[in-house]
Amino acid sequence: MSIKKIILALGLLTVSLGHSQNQALFAEATQFYNQGEYESALENYGQILENGEHSAALYFNMGNCHYKLGNIGPSIYHYEKALLLSPNDAEILNNLAYAQNMRLDAIQEMPKSDIARLYEGVVSFMTFDQWAYAAVILVILFVMAYLCYYFFHRANHKRLALISGMLALALGAISLLMAYLQLQQTNNDDPAIVLAKQVKVSSEPNSASNALFTLHEGTKVKVVDGLGDWQKIRLADGQSGWLLAESIKKIKDF
Amino acid sequence: MGFKGKIIFFMGLALCFGPQALAQDGDVEFNMVLSKDQLAINERLRVDFSMNKDGDNFSPPSFEGFKVVMGPSQSVSSSWINGKRSFSKTYTYIVMPTARGTFTIGQASIEIGGETYKTLPQEVEVTEAVDRPNGQPSPQDVASDNLHLVAELSKGSPYLNEGITVVYKLYVGTNVSVSNYRALDNPQYTNFWSQDIPVGRHEVQNGTYQGKPYRYVVLKRVVLYPQRSGELELEPLSLEVFVDVPTNQRDFFGRTIYTQATQTVSAGKRTIMVKPLPEEGKPANFGGAVGDFKFSVTTSKRELNAAESLQARVEVSGKGNLKLFKLPEPEIPSALEVYDPEYQENVRTQLSGMEGSIANTYTIVPSYRGKYPIPSIHFSYFDPKAGSYVTLSSEKIDIEVLEGPQASTFNAPAPGEPDKQLVVPLGKQFHFIKLDAGLQSREARPFFGSRGFYLWLLLPLLSIPIAILLFKKREAMASDVVGNKIKTANRLAKRYLSTAKRELGNKEAFYVALEKGLHNYLKAKLKIPTSDFSKEKIREILSEKGVVPGDGEVFIELLTNCEMARYSPFSEVQMQLDYDRASEVISKMDKQL
Repeated sequence: MSIKKIILALGLLTVSLGHSQNQALFAEATQFYNQGEYESALENYGQILENGEHSAALYFNMGNCHYKLGNIGPSIYHYEKALLLSPNDAEILNNLAYAQNMRLDAIQEMPKSDIARLYEGVVSFMTFDQWAYAAVILVILFVMAYLCYYFFHRANHKRLALISGMLALALGAISLLMAYLQLQQTNNDDPAIVLAKQVKVSSEPNSASNALFTLHEGTKVKVVDGLGDWQKIRLADGQSGWLLAESIKKIKDF
Repeated sequence: MGFKGKIIFFMGLALCFGPQALAQDGDVEFNMVLSKDQLAINERLRVDFSMNKDGDNFSPPSFEGFKVVMGPSQSVSSSWINGKRSFSKTYTYIVMPTARGTFTIGQASIEIGGETYKTLPQEVEVTEAVDRPNGQPSPQDVASDNLHLVAELSKGSPYLNEGITVVYKLYVGTNVSVSNYRALDNPQYTNFWSQDIPVGRHEVQNGTYQGKPYRYVVLKRVVLYPQRSGELELEPLSLEVFVDVPTNQRDFFGRTIYTQATQTVSAGKRTIMVKPLPEEGKPANFGGAVGDFKFSVTTSKRELNAAESLQARVEVSGKGNLKLFKLPEPEIPSALEVYDPEYQENVRTQLSGMEGSIANTYTIVPSYRGKYPIPSIHFSYFDPKAGSYVTLSSEKIDIEVLEGPQASTFNAPAPGEPDKQLVVPLGKQFHFIKLDAGLQSREARPFFGSRGFYLWLLLPLLSIPIAILLFKKREAMASDVVGNKIKTANRLAKRYLSTAKRELGNKEAFYVALEKGLHNYLKAKLKIPTSDFSKEKIREILSEKGVVPGDGEVFIELLTNCEMARYSPFSEVQMQLDYDRASEVISKMDKQL
C-alpha cells in the first residue's frame, strides 16, 4: 500500500516536473526566436514534443521558425498541424497563407457547389470533440428546460421552457450528428504535405511506370491508398497518382 | 673573255693551294641520287653518285635487275665562293630495268682520306610500259602531282555534340604556282551542326606533305558538332584549280616558260566515328550540353516592394555546343508573376569551337508581400575531356517582398484561361509566434466516443425521471392528511414528552415529567411560563388564544390527572392512555395556536 503511494507520488512529481520543464523550454524558445536563432528555437520545440506534449501554439511557432529559415515544406506541415488542433485560428491561417505563397506548385482547387461548401463550412466549424462538448451542454440545457417546464405553474413560463427545451434538444441532436460526420470526415481524410524538394508522381506504385506529373515541396495531398513503400495520393484539383511514402509526411501523425 | 680568264685563274689557284689548306674542313658526303623512284619498264633511270671530296677506289653497286646502258661518266666541279671552296665529283650511270617489280639499288663505296664511305640502298619500282617513255610529263600530270587538297580533322572520333574542326588545306608543290581556284562542290554537312569560319587572307605557309616540302594555303575552316552518333561521312570538297606549270622551254632571256593547266582536286571522303554519350551516370536533367561550362542563376534584387519588378538571369558560359542545348528553367513560386524569358546569346565561334555565354532573363513581378524562395536548379553537361558528366547547381535565392497590398479577393481565372499563378490571399502582417504554450499531452484521447462522453450525454437525461419521481413523492406526502397528523403528533410528543415516555411505568416520575412537558409546551407556544398559574388561568389563556374548548378541557384534565396521580394509585394502562391523550391534545392544539 505504501509502495503504491510512493510510486503514485513519484509519477505525479515527474509529470509536474516535466510540465514545468517544458514551459521553461517554451519560454526559452521564444527568446531564441526573438533573437533570430530559429534553429535553437526549433531544437527546444522538438524537445517539448519528445517530452510528450504538444499544442497548436507549439506547432504554429515551429511553422514560423521554418518559414523564417525558408523551409517551405516543414513550415506548411507545422501550420497544418496547428490548424488540426485549433481550426479557424486566424493567426495560423494568415501565416499559413504566407508559407503557401512560397510553394512552386499551382494547384487549383476543384470548384465546389454552394451546398457542398455550406455543408463543409458547417461541419468543420468545430472539431468533433468540440461538437461533442456542445452536444453535452445542450443536453444538460434540455434537461433543465424540461424540468422547468414540469415544475412551472404559469402557462407562459411553461411555454417558454418547453420551446427552449425542444430547441436545445434539437440543437443537441444536430451537434451529435455533426460530431459524427466530422469524425467520419476526419477518419477518411488523411492529408499529407510533400517534404521532398521534388517528387515524381507515377501512374503505378513502381519505379518503372511513367511519371504523370511532378510535385514540389509544400504541396498538400490527400493519401487515399498505400502499397508497400508507395502511397496513392490525390490533389485538390482531382489528379491522383502514386509516390514514394518517404517524400510526404502525414499531418495527422502526432 | 677577260672575265672568264680570271675565273679560270682563280680555279687554278684553288687547285694549287686549296686541298692542302682546306682538306680537313667539313664532313664528307657521299650520296646516291636517283632521277626517279618509279619508272616504266621501257624507261631509263639515271643514277648519280656524288661526293664533296675526291676519293679513290670507287666501286659502283651491282644494279641488280638493271642493265647499265651508259657510264660511268665523271664530272668534277670546284668553286670558291667568299673564300670557301666547294667541291663536287659525280659518277653518273644510266641504267635500264630488265624486269617489272621492285628492285633495290645497293651500296656504292669509295675511299676518301683513308676511310671507306658507302651510300644508302634505295628501292625502285618498275611498272608496266608507258606510251611515251622518258617523255616530257604533260602540264596536267605535273599539276596533278603537285596539287593536293587535304581535309584535316581535329579529332577522328569525337563524342556526340563535341565540337570538331575541319581545315581544308591546298598543298602546292614548289615548282608550280596557283593562279586561281573555284569551288565546284561545297559539302553539305548533314548530321552536323556546322559553322564556317571565314578565311580572310590566303597566307602561303610552308609545310610538308608526305615527307616532301610543299607550300600550303588554308582554304576553308569549318566547326562541326555531330548531331548523331555512329559513322558519319564528310562529303568531299572539290576545287577546280588553275595552275602555272613550268615547261622545259626557255624564253629569250633564259627564263622558264610556264603553261596553264586546270586541275580538279577533291579532299576525299572522310568518315567520322561519332561516339554516343555514355549512358552510365547520365543525369536525369541532361539536356545535351557537351563541353566545359559555368552555370549561374542571379537576380537583380533580393528585396523589393510588390509591383516592382526584378530580373532573374539563368546563364551558362564556357566552351562547347552553346547554341545547341536548352537552358534549364528556374522554378519560381507560383505566387510570383513571371513573364516569358528574354534569350541573350553572346557566342563566338572559333577554330576551337563555340565560346561565350547564353542566358535567359526572366522578369518577375511579385504582387504580395512575403518571402519567395527560388530553389537551386541544376545544369548538367558532358565533359568530353574527362569523359564524364558534370552537374552544376545554382545557389538558392530568397526574394523578400517588403511592402505590398494585403489580402485582396482572389479571383479565380475564368474557365478556359490557363493561369499558372495561384496566390493565397494574405493578411497584413506575418504574425509573431504565440507566447502562451497551452501544452497538453500528445496522447490526448478524443472526448467524442469516450465513456465519459456517453455518461455526460445520458446522465442528464436519466435525471429527468429521477427528479420527477422525487417531486411526485413529495406531492403524495403533502396530500396524505392522516399520516401528517400522526407525524406532527409524533414530532411534538418526541419533543416535549420524551422524558415522560422514558418514565412510562414509573408512576411518580412519569406524571412529574408529563406535567413538566405540558407546561413546557405551553411555555414554548405562548411564551408564558404557566407552571405557577392556576388551572382557571390556563383555561382562560387557552380560550383567549382560540383553542377549541374541548381540547382545553382535555389539557386541563391531564394537568389535574398529573396532580392526582401523586396521591392515588394509577395503573400502567392509565399511564399509557394519559400519554397518548397528551400527545394527541398537543398536536391538536398546535394547529390552533
